[in-house]
Amino acid sequence: MMRLVSRHGIWGVVLLLALGFVFLRSGLDFDYIIPRRIARLTAMVIGGICIGWSSITFQTITGNRILTPAIMGYEAVYLLWQALLVLFLGAGSVMLLGSNGNFLLSVLLLLGYSWLIHRWLLRNGKSNVYFLLLIGLVLTMVIGTFTQFVQLKVSPGEFSILQSFSLASFNRAQPQQLLYAGLLVAGVCLVGIRTLPTLDVLSLGRDQAISLGVDYRRNVRLHLALIAALVAISTSLLGPTAFMGIFVANMTYALARTFRHRVTLPLGCVIAIGLFIAAQLLVEHVFNYKTTVGILVNLVCGGYFLLLMVRTRGAS
Amino acid sequence: MITVHDIHKVYGAKTVLRGVDAHFPSRQLTSLIGPNGAGKTTLLMMIARLMEPTSGEVRIEGRAVAGIRVGEYAKRVATLRQAPDFNLRLTVEEVVAFGRFPYSRGVLTREDQRVIDEAIDFLSLQALRHAYLDELSGGQRQMAFLAMTIAQQTDYLLLDEPLNNLDIKHAVQIMRALRRLCDEHARTVILVVHDINFAASYCDHIVAMKEGAVYCAGSVDEVITESRLGELYGLDFEITHSPRGRLCNYFNPEREAK
Repeated sequence: MMRLVSRHGIWGVVLLLALGFVFLRSGLDFDYIIPRRIARLTAMVIGGICIGWSSITFQTITGNRILTPAIMGYEAVYLLWQALLVLFLGAGSVMLLGSNGNFLLSVLLLLGYSWLIHRWLLRNGKSNVYFLLLIGLVLTMVIGTFTQFVQLKVSPGEFSILQSFSLASFNRAQPQQLLYAGLLVAGVCLVGIRTLPTLDVLSLGRDQAISLGVDYRRNVRLHLALIAALVAISTSLLGPTAFMGIFVANMTYALARTFRHRVTLPLGCVIAIGLFIAAQLLVEHVFNYKTTVGILVNLVCGGYFLLLMVRTRGAS
Repeated sequence: MITVHDIHKVYGAKTVLRGVDAHFPSRQLTSLIGPNGAGKTTLLMMIARLMEPTSGEVRIEGRAVAGIRVGEYAKRVATLRQAPDFNLRLTVEEVVAFGRFPYSRGVLTREDQRVIDEAIDFLSLQALRHAYLDELSGGQRQMAFLAMTIAQQTDYLLLDEPLNNLDIKHAVQIMRALRRLCDEHARTVILVVHDINFAASYCDHIVAMKEGAVYCAGSVDEVITESRLGELYGLDFEITHSPRGRLCNYFNPEREAK
């Protein structure tokens, strides 16, 4: 009973947070403040869905609860790509490609990266999770170093553009971009929703899934592609979110107490959205823009990640 | 009947299977025996299509399995690997319900529910129905997984060391259940088993493997002989017959076998 209350209560809490976010100290200014806030709220909803969905499905496929797509180097690749763009095309790259062009190119690039990961690491179903984790961390570090190297080469003006890419923020998204992102996410979810029972079976592991008639290779490929698209959307829309996925996924498991993705996926998305709104509310009304959403989210999630590592076998 | 034809499996420089030919008769309990590293599990995984042979093919009723869709195959052959472990909190009933996935794709019909109940009854798991898997003993867990493969309602069941880590009572329970599946439900069961006495007491047919090839195959009477087992395992065997069946004794060798 308590579980049901907390599981459904979270929807109410997030709805209240959203209403608070839109109307708090807005002076009911429907011409400027409220439309701007609704744009930010839309970005948070899209980003939340991306993060909740991608982390949970990624953890199901890898059969591990301390992995997130971010750790697998997706975000590092995105940042390197932005740095290379600025290095070769200069500050004009932002204008040249337009934010939509950049957005689409990033999505394609991350899809390619996901395909490579799948080819190298998940071949023959030999996905040793610790090996995956190690490769992911090393890749993130190596690519991060490349990015820093590129950053040393660019001018201070260009550097500040790069800097803005590396912090999560809801202010950069343009309405048109939000529309494209929203449509893409809706598409991904539509494809994903039809595979929810298959995802449940995939969580039994490769061998059992094949034995139950799931085309493992095809499904894993499909989900890695969906994850790549979602990570690409959230990263190019909001910036890197690092550990947030782990936090969201594990909080979801604790609340949902079921393995069924029909329950966990929506719950995960709502938790991510709630976390975003709460952080943004704090930034806007308590810290008065002296800190960023990224820092707040990473502080909470980084702490939680440490706790998770220390407490080797959690109860959930 | 499942037959395998000239199967080779090579990992890099290591040859695991070198030209395996064997057949597994229908409606019989067949066990794969042999020393560690003989390739028993590898062969079973190829029949289950969890691994691809380097060359050669597996046929089910004369048809090459490589051409059958995975979804279809799951309605004919069910596989249980040793100790599937995953960090999910599942009840016994939920595990058994997974066995219906090849048919229902996640939405259980009334017919599915009936088959689930039957599988649970068949292994007398009614009392554990709503228990969580992580609260069960190893033997009870194994029974729950076996119920899942039974609920899959396939003609063929492949089990990889189902008796591993079980106490003798659970081991006997599992073997008796498999025997009943063959006799009462006309299923074909193929299992990898290490305890030679379980193979000798419960099986109809035995395929003995050694160093990546079939050492000998045939009925229990043909395979379970002192000379054949002695050479297969490199141990001195004494086989005694009693009214309750035969017993292979290899615990205290009288002389060093070659």
